[in-house]
Amino acid sequence: MTEATSAARGRQTRLEGILRTLWTPLLLSAFMVAIWLVVTHIVDDVFYTSEAEKFFLRLLIVLALQIFCGNSGILSFGQVAFMAVGAYTSALLTIPTAIKQFTFLSMPGTLKDIVFPAELSAFQGTIVGGLAALVVAMVFGVPIVRLTGVAAGIATLAILVAMNVFIQQTSSITRGTSTQIGVPQTTTMRATVIWVIAAIVVAFAYQQSRNGLRLRASRENDRASRSVGVSVPRERYLAFALSGFVCGIAGALYGHYFITFSYLDFYFDLTFLTIAMLVVGGMGSVSGAVVGTSFLTVIYVFFQRFEVNGIGGTTVPSGTADVVMALALLIALILRPKGLTAGREIPWPRDWRWFRGDRRRPPATEAPGTAE
Amino acid sequence: MLLASTSTYFQYFADSVAYGSLFALMALSLSLLFGVMGLMNFAYGELIMVGAYTMFYTERYGWLVMILATFAAVIVFALVMELVAFRPVRRASPSTLLITSFALSIGLQKLFYMIFPPGSPRTVKPYPWLTNQFEIKGVLFSRLEIATWIVTILLLVGMVLLLKRTALGVQLRASTEDFRMAQLVGVKANWVISSAFAITGFLAAAVTILYMLNHGDVRPNVGQGPLLIAFVGVVIGGLGSLGGAALGGFTLGVVINLLSATLPRSIQGHTLMFAFLLVILMLVFQPNGLMGTIDKLRRKRITEEIPRAAEEPAT
Repeated sequence: MTEATSAARGRQTRLEGILRTLWTPLLLSAFMVAIWLVVTHIVDDVFYTSEAEKFFLRLLIVLALQIFCGNSGILSFGQVAFMAVGAYTSALLTIPTAIKQFTFLSMPGTLKDIVFPAELSAFQGTIVGGLAALVVAMVFGVPIVRLTGVAAGIATLAILVAMNVFIQQTSSITRGTSTQIGVPQTTTMRATVIWVIAAIVVAFAYQQSRNGLRLRASRENDRASRSVGVSVPRERYLAFALSGFVCGIAGALYGHYFITFSYLDFYFDLTFLTIAMLVVGGMGSVSGAVVGTSFLTVIYVFFQRFEVNGIGGTTVPSGTADVVMALALLIALILRPKGLTAGREIPWPRDWRWFRGDRRRPPATEAPGTAE
Repeated sequence: MLLASTSTYFQYFADSVAYGSLFALMALSLSLLFGVMGLMNFAYGELIMVGAYTMFYTERYGWLVMILATFAAVIVFALVMELVAFRPVRRASPSTLLITSFALSIGLQKLFYMIFPPGSPRTVKPYPWLTNQFEIKGVLFSRLEIATWIVTILLLVGMVLLLKRTALGVQLRASTEDFRMAQLVGVKANWVISSAFAITGFLAAAVTILYMLNHGDVRPNVGQGPLLIAFVGVVIGGLGSLGGAALGGFTLGVVINLLSATLPRSIQGHTLMFAFLLVILMLVFQPNGLMGTIDKLRRKRITEEIPRAAEEPAT
């Protein structure tokens, strides 16, 4: 009798343990689906639909940034460069052959033989774009993972600028300063939401994995983590490559959404916006990426409407929304440098008193084996 | 076909030196701030932007007014920037400071796009007597180029005197070595940092005037391009090393200008890409920059015993 009840309790706590682990990704995914359903079925307004679409695309980039920056504590200005790789690769492989023959007249012969006949589907293009970005990230990752602090910041910035110069100057492959022509517009809201949920799961799974744990340990204390045998460069490298891959996917989707993109789309503005979203939300957690992106998108859309339609008959000059973004980041850095979530995930409902001022650690669960 | 004569080389050299001088000044001021407070200032480009707009609006009152107004505006702006944006986060880590300055830089650019909407192009009209070229033994010079050399040399000498001969200079150098220690022996943090920003502003104003008289186009992102190159210069010179930064900025400016004049057209545009890839390698293999390397060799000769303690730049 007692054995049966304890076994039942054991099952229950095990179930709770599993749920506790899956709680954050489940909740965040449900939030994404909710936004999607509300925007497409209840609001159903072109403006808000396109804003929601852009929100999901940005969130994908912010999640990719979070995978590297959040877990390693190193800020990267360079992830947008990997997005560009994904976008350009996917575009090259999906533009119909008939168009490519006219828009890429000066492409070198060997590349021409591969690129011209290729007419991949959007999904294939996105995957190949992600893989291309992965390769580029793996090359740049070798030096980057050996740096920290300002040096890493400048090195990643160098990636961004070097990539931008490359795209701008290598017109035979990228059309240089001209925009792309004939990229199929295939990114649907549904596809983006699915990719975002996949990215949330990947980001969370990585964070919880032993590699993620090691990297987070090195974020908290580099020397202590090295002393217990963590190979910091190797862990960073893994995160950097994974982040690069997700960036490539995001870039490909971005390309297939905006279709006429150019080198200017993957530069400081997007870098700034995504870093702002990540930092405001809180770099350290996946929830932080989602909260920051949602929060700043709401503010941004609000001010954009304010600029265009006005509120109560008054309008603000165009460009206000951009200035407000920068202000939001500055204020966050001064008042709450760890971000809105302070680097924590959304707590399990039973631990909510933890939020109400009691800053102690949540009580240990009865099932020690299940939680990380 | 292109048989470059000696005078052509002199020509390249003359142009490159003028170009490199500007980056030497910029890298020097960036490095000063980095040394004192660990701030790699992205918003330095916006000092140039403010200076450029000041020049545009005061040019009609004559060159003297323009120069004075530009210096005043940029220095005041640098001090306000420190007070509003950087003082509250002073104790934060260098990477937080980097994000702060990035946010400030983009924010100011957006603000200026908002205040001065694009449409009517704004240009600082060059003075013909300054930019017209004249020939000395087959080499073309302009008065502006010569002025750039002279101003750079004067400012560099001035900086050396300031740093070596005055109390403020000693305090600044002490702060770049070890900010905490300097405070403990009585250096006032606010005073040193404000002075560093004022010096930055002063140098930025000089750079702005010399740069804008040559380039003319006034846009909110006018400072961004030069700033990125100066960043590279600072890295090449060694983060936080003042002399190194000036040398690095100068070398880089000269090299970029020489390369873009001599490389074949097909890869000319990629010059900057190579410069930035070089930065990544530099950061990994020679984090102390050119000066660091020279220094290391010299120290090795003097003492093999004492281990180099100052691995990391002041935080």
